[in-house]
Amino acid sequence: MLLTEHEGKRLLAAAGIAVPGGFVVRSAGALARRNVAYPVAVKTQVAAGGRGKAGGVVRARSRREAQNAVSRLLRTSFNGETPRAVLIEPWLEIQRELYLSVTVDPAAEGYVVLYSPRGGVEIEAGKPPARYDVGPAREFRAYRLREILATVETDAAVRERVIALARRLVTLAATRDCTTVEINPLAKLADGSLTAADAKIVRDEYAGFRAADIAAALEKARRPEPRPISRALAGNLMLVWLDGEVGLISGGAGMTMATMDLIGDAGGKPACFLDCSANPTPTGYRLAFELLDGEPKVKVILVSIFGGLTHMDRVARTMKEIMAGRRSRKPVVFRLNGTNAKRVDEIFAEAGLRNHAALENAVAEAVALAKKRYGR
Amino acid sequence: MSVLIDQTSRVIIQGLTGNVGRFSARDLIAYGTRVAGGTSTSKADTEVEGLPVFPSVRAARESTGADVSLVYVPAATALDHVIEAFEAGVRLVVYPGDGLPVQDAIEMRAAAKANGGVLIGPNTPGIISPGKAKAGFMPSFCYTQGPLGVISRSGSLSYEACFRLTGAGLGQTTVIGIGGDAIKGLTASEALALLHADPDTHAIVYLGEIGGQDEYEVAAYAARSGAKPLAALIIGRQAPPGKKMGHAGALIGSHADTHAAKMKALNKAGVYATGTVTGLVTAVNAALAGVKLARARTA
Repeated sequence: MLLTEHEGKRLLAAAGIAVPGGFVVRSAGALARRNVAYPVAVKTQVAAGGRGKAGGVVRARSRREAQNAVSRLLRTSFNGETPRAVLIEPWLEIQRELYLSVTVDPAAEGYVVLYSPRGGVEIEAGKPPARYDVGPAREFRAYRLREILATVETDAAVRERVIALARRLVTLAATRDCTTVEINPLAKLADGSLTAADAKIVRDEYAGFRAADIAAALEKARRPEPRPISRALAGNLMLVWLDGEVGLISGGAGMTMATMDLIGDAGGKPACFLDCSANPTPTGYRLAFELLDGEPKVKVILVSIFGGLTHMDRVARTMKEIMAGRRSRKPVVFRLNGTNAKRVDEIFAEAGLRNHAALENAVAEAVALAKKRYGR
Repeated sequence: MSVLIDQTSRVIIQGLTGNVGRFSARDLIAYGTRVAGGTSTSKADTEVEGLPVFPSVRAARESTGADVSLVYVPAATALDHVIEAFEAGVRLVVYPGDGLPVQDAIEMRAAAKANGGVLIGPNTPGIISPGKAKAGFMPSFCYTQGPLGVISRSGSLSYEACFRLTGAGLGQTTVIGIGGDAIKGLTASEALALLHADPDTHAIVYLGEIGGQDEYEVAAYAARSGAKPLAALIIGRQAPPGKKMGHAGALIGSHADTHAAKMKALNKAGVYATGTVTGLVTAVNAALAGVKLARARTA
């Protein structure tokens, strides 16, 4: 979960990291009630990268300029996201822009610190940043980072400030469940101090059970999603809409993707990625059918599940019940295999349902039905 | 032979008294695994499925000599249970759960290293050495003994893949689910090293997907001289960029994450790589033919 800049800076400030003293407004009018020293930076608040390059940060020399900028930015979407707020900060006189980030990296078996003496919008075009593989947060060693920085940063005072900052960032990542904490640019000001001019923080969605702020943010992020997606999330199903016509109800990310690939090979297109493995219950599957039955672009439903912990005799009984009570006339094709799968045929036979033995045959039938029934 | 687990392994289940723990105990025993008992923090000193329930891993180990633990507890307490197992001297810990915060995965891996143990997981069905033992919940009928070592990022895909291999008479030494998360207990390259050293593993099958760097570790191994022949199935051609496909690791962010880039790297390294489950058996047969060819040359 990517935070917006001002959310990220709140976390940084709480960890004792210097950030510009800004405030957030949600309308141009709100600026009139504030006593502000100009010039200021007017910064759109969207959880997306590339904002600076796309004109999402404006320098304003007066209240009038700032208000114009706020109105304009609130109307402009960046990377498909419309901002709900704008951050106003004092315009920094930056002597040099640096780059510093801490992120989770498998090669480091934990956290890695990345540093470049030249940061800013062109960071990706330049030389790759210097890299310190920390591992678990408690393995952070200032002298190791100092050795690495010595090769790229000639200013010893900056080096020491970066080391102190990096330690705080690593601690922040570990204690507040952040998978990425990126400061770009990290601004070196005239007095030699370092300030986080921007903040890109990604928090770990899986840590909601112990971090109340993550749980609240996830809940909030769910609301503006289109209804089927928010319902799927609430029902513990993983739904991603795609632009095809074969609705896929599946279990396990791997089998879902493998079946999507086969649908493509058979000349069809998957309408969605819908993984029910986190909620393989009658409630979960019923919701899956409701979502796909209610979606006009879905012409046929393919149920493809290879269960391990999910017992397929239970799934078959659930499918039987769902099919008996279902109003939609969209055809459904089944391929169930896995634990207790040998009982599926018997359960299906009672209801006149058919289970494919081979995944390819099930996919072929689903794709053919989608084409035949709807004249494609 | 096999790696990490065989008929001599003594397995305990942490969280034995829950629904999943009980089902898994029955399933493991039915497969011939030596299940020594389990632990429960609330129902210790009872018996479940004919197995003793201990209050701690230390107590279970003292009384049974168990060297493998399968951990069925929620993400919120998983790290504590895994650390307990390693510090009690358990050699191999399998944590199948998903939804584990990455910070806890980092700590789990560190605990394994600090105690000289091996962690498999998170987000995996576990590990099986067909015909010998299993520590996980994969459907047993999908597996049979044979010359292939299998490594998989996805549980469900490994069932389908091994079901096909077994159906084609292509058995396995050990099937290792390394899991779909970014930080893994056992990584792809560590699993490769284990299978490389196993004399009964003649060829290696790798089941991968978009996102992450694991496939490049596989390509690096395959390019080494003396590497065992490799077949790979890489899925996710239909997945759009920028969308997380269920697995925390299955996200296309950069070009290296894409299906095409991974297939290219694997093919270049001499891996028999396919992008569809339909092509898996053919690819594996080609890899095994490579084994026969190499043997004929040296004979």
